[in-house]
Amino acid sequence: MMKTLLLTLVVATLFTGAANAGDLVKMKGSTQGRSNHEFIYQDGCKGCHQGSGKQNATDAACVECHGEITSIPVDESKLAIPEAHPHKSLHYNQGASCLACHSEHEKKAPVCAECHRTWFKEM
Amino acid sequence: MHDRRSFLKLGAGAAVGGIAAALPSAALATECASNIKWDETRDVIVVGSGFAGLSSALNAKRQGLGSILVLEKMQVIGGNSAINGGWLAIPKNPIQLAQGINDDSPEELVKDQIISGRGMQNTDMLRQIANRALDAYQLCIDTGVKFREGFNQQVGGHNKARAIRTLHGVGGDITTKLYEAGKKEGVEYRLQHYVEDFIMDGQEIVGLKVRQNYRFPDLKTGKTIYIKANRAVILAHGGFSRNLALRELVDPALDKTLDCTNALGATGEVTLTAMAHGAFPVHMSFIQTGHWGSPDEGGFGWSNALLSIGFHKGISVNVLDGKRFMNERADRKTCSDAIMKNRNPDGSPAYPVVFFNHDDHVGAEEVTRAVRDQIAWKVDSLEQLAKQFNIPLAQLKQTVDEYNKQVPLRIDPLFGRMMDTAVELKAPFIVSRIWPKVHYCMGGLKTDLGARVLHSQTLAPMKNLYAVGEATGGTHGGTRLSSTACLECLTMGIIVAETIKSDMQA
Repeated sequence: MMKTLLLTLVVATLFTGAANAGDLVKMKGSTQGRSNHEFIYQDGCKGCHQGSGKQNATDAACVECHGEITSIPVDESKLAIPEAHPHKSLHYNQGASCLACHSEHEKKAPVCAECHRTWFKEM
Repeated sequence: MHDRRSFLKLGAGAAVGGIAAALPSAALATECASNIKWDETRDVIVVGSGFAGLSSALNAKRQGLGSILVLEKMQVIGGNSAINGGWLAIPKNPIQLAQGINDDSPEELVKDQIISGRGMQNTDMLRQIANRALDAYQLCIDTGVKFREGFNQQVGGHNKARAIRTLHGVGGDITTKLYEAGKKEGVEYRLQHYVEDFIMDGQEIVGLKVRQNYRFPDLKTGKTIYIKANRAVILAHGGFSRNLALRELVDPALDKTLDCTNALGATGEVTLTAMAHGAFPVHMSFIQTGHWGSPDEGGFGWSNALLSIGFHKGISVNVLDGKRFMNERADRKTCSDAIMKNRNPDGSPAYPVVFFNHDDHVGAEEVTRAVRDQIAWKVDSLEQLAKQFNIPLAQLKQTVDEYNKQVPLRIDPLFGRMMDTAVELKAPFIVSRIWPKVHYCMGGLKTDLGARVLHSQTLAPMKNLYAVGEATGGTHGGTRLSSTACLECLTMGIIVAETIKSDMQA
């Protein structure tokens, strides 16, 4: 159910120019979050943070809605070169945590940017 | 029980080393095994997920050693191996034989390694690894690793063409396949698990104190759990090139201006933990730098390939005085030392430039990607070069004039460089900046041939504690040859699994 909703949102936002599904906006108090996750915030922090806001979130929360890394589509027309596909990385492929590249509450440079400094920006 | 074990270890130590028998047994003030409430138990725990860890885990599973758990502290599998160049030295590999090279052998590889090891290498270990090279190759083929067709090259310091390379030229072609094979065969992998401490019973390791859901590099993240290891802990955590304090302690020449080719996780804290529990370190100050690094990119990057053109077909120039300052074709150590002398008055690096003719290398992959990724630039004239990098123009012109006069004579009166590949310099140029990067730690934990970690009081193996790959030391001696680390890691992963099996039956 949630996965279907998410996919619909992603597909819808892929084709709209300005607003991005993952835009960082004010969510609760001083906490920032992604605009496409707004509905999750209505249920509090526990959904992602292992039942308590004090616990670190894990991949499990991401995978529940988005699926495994290799099944998540990436707009390949936006890649600097075809080999720079972040969800089918030549270095890590399935062996990458979502958190290596994505951060919910702040902007983060993906792990690729440690070496390939011109391919990916903070997001 | 404890006393009897200590006594037996001391006896073995005396037999091995003939010393240390009079020393009291170790009494380290850490958590006592009998008080631990274990959160989990596995038969074998592997620390680290590069070539060494992945090979160890998969082979441990295949040897029937039971439940295998791999702990990786970072958010990706593969450690430094995932980003390396994917070179693998295999004497008598099928591509080499197809090229008609029939006079190579494991012993030929060992001969080369004895020269680069400068007498300090462990020849028996190198021989064991070379003799099992084809097993490591087969492990790759079995798990679906693809190598470049017909590609087998002679790389630096080798007397034969014996280095094959993965299809995409990255170690990730190997780590991803070993990972997937392990997953299919029941190996369990955990990301973001940082080893805080070992739980010891005398000189026997019984488990690990682990920070779960750790976020590198913040040690306050995650929570502590205890995992018991019934049969073995295999340390495969790599080197410590990224630990600036540690590398400067053991080699003060490696100051903080030197970046590193390694993945960010190569910080060596497990080496220090092992040492704190008595593991014997060796050759810690033997650290290799690459003189082909660029300050304009992270990690290993493209600069290495670009400079194989630059050092042959171009020149390196000090930006402060516009003069050449080294034999561009000297060895790594000589060039690194010369480059590091280029400093501003405040001691900060004055990154030298290397440049060569643009028109001679149009369409070359090394050039295209370096320019695309902004670690090199095209300049149309010496004037533009001087302006862009703040080099005194008059001296730069004079430097190029003098160099060009020497090209047809094939003599370099300034630095004695071999000039056989030199060409006259003519704008436009491709230019990049250089600074050495720390590349590989030859030193680490001392093991016996079966990968058992030796204790620093008894010089005998510590029970159930094993180490493989760059975490270990003493194998390569003075310096390591290109394409041999991957070989060592894959092979020792096979051997350590065999050792643990035989130790279980003993």
